[in-house]
Amino acid sequence: MNKENIIEIQGLKKRFDKGKIKALNGIDLVIKKGEFVSIMGPSGSGKSTLLNMIGALDKADEGFIKVAGIDLMEVKDLSKFRSQEIGFVFQLHNLIPNLSVLENVEIPMYETKSSSKEIRERALELLKLMNFPNFSDTIKQNPTKLSGGERQRVAIARALVNHPSIILADEPTGALDSKTGDMILNLLKEIHHKENVTLVMVTHEPYVAEMADRTINVLDGKVSNE
Amino acid sequence: MSFLSLMIKNPFRNKTRASLAIVGIAIGIATIVALGMVTGGLQTATQSTLKAGSAEISVTQTGTNTFESGGGTLNESLATDLQNISGVKNTAGILRANANITAANTFGGLSVNGIDSSKLSLEGIDSVNGTIYSNGSSNQLILGKTVAQSLNKTVGDSINLFGKEFKVTGIYQTGNFIQDAGAFTSLNTLQNLTNNNGKISVIAVKVTDNANVTTVSQAIEKAYPNQLTATTAADQANRINQGLGTINTASTAISLLAIIIGGIGIINVMIMSVYERTREIGVLKAVGWRSRRILTMILGESIILTLVAAVVGIIMGVIGVEVLLNVLPTSGTAIKPVLTIEILLRAFGIGFVVGLVGGLYPAYRASRLAPTEALRYE
Repeated sequence: MNKENIIEIQGLKKRFDKGKIKALNGIDLVIKKGEFVSIMGPSGSGKSTLLNMIGALDKADEGFIKVAGIDLMEVKDLSKFRSQEIGFVFQLHNLIPNLSVLENVEIPMYETKSSSKEIRERALELLKLMNFPNFSDTIKQNPTKLSGGERQRVAIARALVNHPSIILADEPTGALDSKTGDMILNLLKEIHHKENVTLVMVTHEPYVAEMADRTINVLDGKVSNE
Repeated sequence: MSFLSLMIKNPFRNKTRASLAIVGIAIGIATIVALGMVTGGLQTATQSTLKAGSAEISVTQTGTNTFESGGGTLNESLATDLQNISGVKNTAGILRANANITAANTFGGLSVNGIDSSKLSLEGIDSVNGTIYSNGSSNQLILGKTVAQSLNKTVGDSINLFGKEFKVTGIYQTGNFIQDAGAFTSLNTLQNLTNNNGKISVIAVKVTDNANVTTVSQAIEKAYPNQLTATTAADQANRINQGLGTINTASTAISLLAIIIGGIGIINVMIMSVYERTREIGVLKAVGWRSRRILTMILGESIILTLVAAVVGIIMGVIGVEVLLNVLPTSGTAIKPVLTIEILLRAFGIGFVVGLVGGLYPAYRASRLAPTEALRYE
């Protein structure tokens, strides 16, 4: 494997509903370490399914997929891979409502061997980067009391907490107004540069895709053009 | 925040549902605790019947019950005759009678025992608060502490028994709940008042230091075949314990029922909780949580819920027993409920098992959720 390639996919297929729906129909794709790649395509094209395959949230039916040196078709329990290599940012942030902002960021670190003190320090370090106006109050609040943009910033901090090599963002600005969306995109881009983390972002907004180093178009479960 | 803190925090998101589940299980545990405390108290009282110094053998007319034997069924002279049997150190003839008391909150009457005052130690009465009654025909008596409390009588007070005014000369306490709920007066006085002159109900037998109680007991029955039945204190305790065994069996049945009902309740609560948190479980899987950690979390939440129910159940049980025994008549003050470590362990054990059994299936379901499906859950 070329050291520069962090994601290698060949002939990846995924079907749903007993094979009636072909979500991925032979995807071939290579993403290099440290790249910022956007995945575009219409609804139902398979872009989110592809992202789920890269993040090992789901398993492909056929093909080859290697991410961060791990053959995802071969490994049975991929929770360790997700914990160590992947950081997810969802469209609807998916924060846990009864936990504080700080606790939400700490959650992924339970699977590491870090002490409670180390977990807290790491979560605080990341939340400070998110530039909350009333930092000490905000981190104690439940996410339900935050604005959409603030919630997404908490989700980004959560995605980064375990030092992942890849950030997978599924339409991270989809539920935000344009101004807040731009702020989140700039934040993701800044993190991508600073942390040298590979960023793969699904979007249907061309102007968002333009911010990436490269755009991959997916249509009918295949890469149509790059 | 630690993983344990998260498990403690999670079950109380829906406070109403958690409270109802806790109360449901707590009622079962409270019943078990209350029954355990009462049987424990009865067992302690039973053990106190084997008190050192008191008579080891009770002799009654064959065919009568040691506990219920009342009225004069034996000739008083038999008490003296038994002293000739090898191994017998001392004997006391006792006449038992039931006196109606209208003023007291007692069950139908007061058990009055007539015995020579010099032989009270054979009934476990070594000292009294006040003085012991005189052996003449004077109407004096000593009252057990329990009955004195329930009748609100103290030394120097009077009490009407068998149509006569008795003066309370002393209050005694043996630790035996049956004994402490009764009264003692001179044998002559009671024989006269109940028309049982020369008659007694039971003979208390104290054996010599070297003698074997069973051997002496058998010797008495052999000397008076078909006339006298000798029962050792150990036999009496065993008979009571057999009765308590029945209560313990009932307690075990209630425990099982509590586990089944509580378990079903917890399955329901935890399944609802898992359904509501499906998306959240998907997120936890996405951020790298192993299935085993999710299983541990849900199982832990279930066990925490039932352990809290155990604490609530113990408190409810203790308060319930105290309230109930205070409301009840004489027996209320006679039985001293005992909260033992065994009862506490049993309550927490049941709580733990209910949590484990009830949480297992929802925890398994949560751990098996596919991350993508869970994240799509609306």
